[in-house]
Amino acid sequence: MQPLWSQQAVPRAADIISTVEFNHSGDLLATGDKGGRVVIFQREQENKSRPHSRGEYNVYSTFQSHEPEFDYLKSLEIEEKINKIRWLPQQNAAHFLLSTNDKTIKLWKISERDKRAEGYNLKDEDGRLRDPFRITALRVPILKPMDLMVEASPRRIFANAHTYHINSISVNSDHETYLSADDLRINLWHLEITDRSFNIVDIKPANMEELTEVITAAEFHPHQCNVFVYSSSKGTIRLCDMRSSALCDRHSKFFEEPEDPSSRSFFSEIISSISDVKFSHSGRYMMTRDYLSVKVWDLNMESRPVETHQVHEYLRSKLCSLYENDCIFDKFECCWSGSDSAIMTGSYNNFFRMFDRNARRDVTLEASRENSKPRASLKPRKVCTGGKRKKDEISVDSLDFNKKILHTAWHPAENIIAVAATNNLYIFQDKVN
Amino acid sequence: MEVQKEAQRIMTLSVWKMYHSRMQRGGLRLHRSLQLSLVMRSARELYLSAKVEAHEPEVPLPPVRSPDPRLHQSREAEAVAEAAPPDGEQPSPEPMDTREAPRAEETPALCAPRPAKVSRKRRNSSLSDGGDVGLVPSKKARLEEEEEEGASSEVPDRLQPPPAQAEGAFPNLARVLQRRFSGLLNCSPAAPPTAPPACEAKPACRPADSMLNVLVRAVVAF
Repeated sequence: MQPLWSQQAVPRAADIISTVEFNHSGDLLATGDKGGRVVIFQREQENKSRPHSRGEYNVYSTFQSHEPEFDYLKSLEIEEKINKIRWLPQQNAAHFLLSTNDKTIKLWKISERDKRAEGYNLKDEDGRLRDPFRITALRVPILKPMDLMVEASPRRIFANAHTYHINSISVNSDHETYLSADDLRINLWHLEITDRSFNIVDIKPANMEELTEVITAAEFHPHQCNVFVYSSSKGTIRLCDMRSSALCDRHSKFFEEPEDPSSRSFFSEIISSISDVKFSHSGRYMMTRDYLSVKVWDLNMESRPVETHQVHEYLRSKLCSLYENDCIFDKFECCWSGSDSAIMTGSYNNFFRMFDRNARRDVTLEASRENSKPRASLKPRKVCTGGKRKKDEISVDSLDFNKKILHTAWHPAENIIAVAATNNLYIFQDKVN
Repeated sequence: MEVQKEAQRIMTLSVWKMYHSRMQRGGLRLHRSLQLSLVMRSARELYLSAKVEAHEPEVPLPPVRSPDPRLHQSREAEAVAEAAPPDGEQPSPEPMDTREAPRAEETPALCAPRPAKVSRKRRNSSLSDGGDVGLVPSKKARLEEEEEEGASSEVPDRLQPPPAQAEGAFPNLARVLQRRFSGLLNCSPAAPPTAPPACEAKPACRPADSMLNVLVRAVVAF
């Protein structure tokens, strides 16, 4: 397989993208940024008169989801940065998504309006009230077409349920409930009810000084509405079944790989922290991302992952420097392809990595306008880890650690990927039919 | 010896990061604080084990040393470490990546650990107080504390978060940081403690020695 990737770069002004998510059909792509804005892109329909524009994503809607807030009781500023966006499955003409910052989750309805009523009796076309004495006849308003307008309106606001910072939200397969997770607790919500949520996991110790691990990510199983997983800062994953008890502090399954003593180092503990966990579309596997690798786990085997892929093993000897410049705390996400045959995650220097699970091959690609022209295929990149540097290779010391790809998304059905590189969004498509 | 220096550098860096993270927008990040404290603890254990192995002879100190607090900290550290759930594995002494740390960044003034010597001269109060030797405020410090209590409205805005957050994740740390750093914060470093300003004796700042000791003690306390 040699896919040719064509590129469409979408520049963003000033704001760093903090989350990227395709909807269930793949026609819409939502991004959230540090400024609390959500920008939704829509895929262009196939158009014979403009064959090149097929499959291009253009801006569909932009709205301000969250504003900065101030918690007066704790004297804390609450950032407006969008941590996660999750789409609800589409049930009617409108689209719904959940977006969250550190403390508050909002349900947004995105709907199109392409008709307008004209001919009101009580007000004229400008909206001004008509003088009642001038109304001499009654007319029925008629609907007339108008330019398409996309409106986003907040339908629910789920607030005040989290003491710590929300890191994940996940919509259940029952389409009625969803979970939200912060560092120590996971809450279960009903999409219709905003003033109540159920706490289903609580790992807060009685004495905070005994705290040893926090929750880093959580997700519902794609098909079993009673099952969810959450990952921890110690590199473990717990699978919980909500049927077994109301409070799922006791896990049904516990996934942990025994540590390799030969690779133990000073920073071992913090690089084993899992930054993302994602179920495969099949529901049979899950994938976890820690600082240096991605691991694929079979849900039926808790003792160790079935696959481990090194993302940037050459950084293992640089951990001290990465601690100094805070890069060691970066939280990379990962994603599955639609068929679960490939997985993708980001790295530094605007590199991202793709692993073909069937062919057991991996490739490093770069998201940058300087190094690739639009519609040209991407050239695989290579990092020189030692010895003589070959032509076109990049040495580890030349990597730009400010250019990090933390958020990537894969179209649910096709080979289209979205890659967020700081404040730029790149969309790559596979041209092979 | 190099391992000790490196461990101390990492400890100082960790504490600085911990302090700095409280000032960031969005408040204290629990996960980040936990990770920093883990590194801090590993560095401390590495430092202590390296010190035990070193068996150094007595070496004359530069004038601004306060060795006793470190001893006290070690004892307290061990007590705290026992209280916390044990890690189960000992960190091996080897793993420090001293290659990557540029030598230029090391701070000679702060990175010289020494065994306790009761007769060492200290800039401030006598050693006969025992107990919290490192935390006994100097005259300067006491004055600042009185000023602080009397004029809380003059405390800069950015100092407000710690007390309100004290009931959050790490109350002891919050209180200690707030008490000790109220004066220091006005001349806090813009860069990481690799170039510590406390060494340039600014009148409003605390002496370098007690800053480090207090920082280390504060972290150990939680």
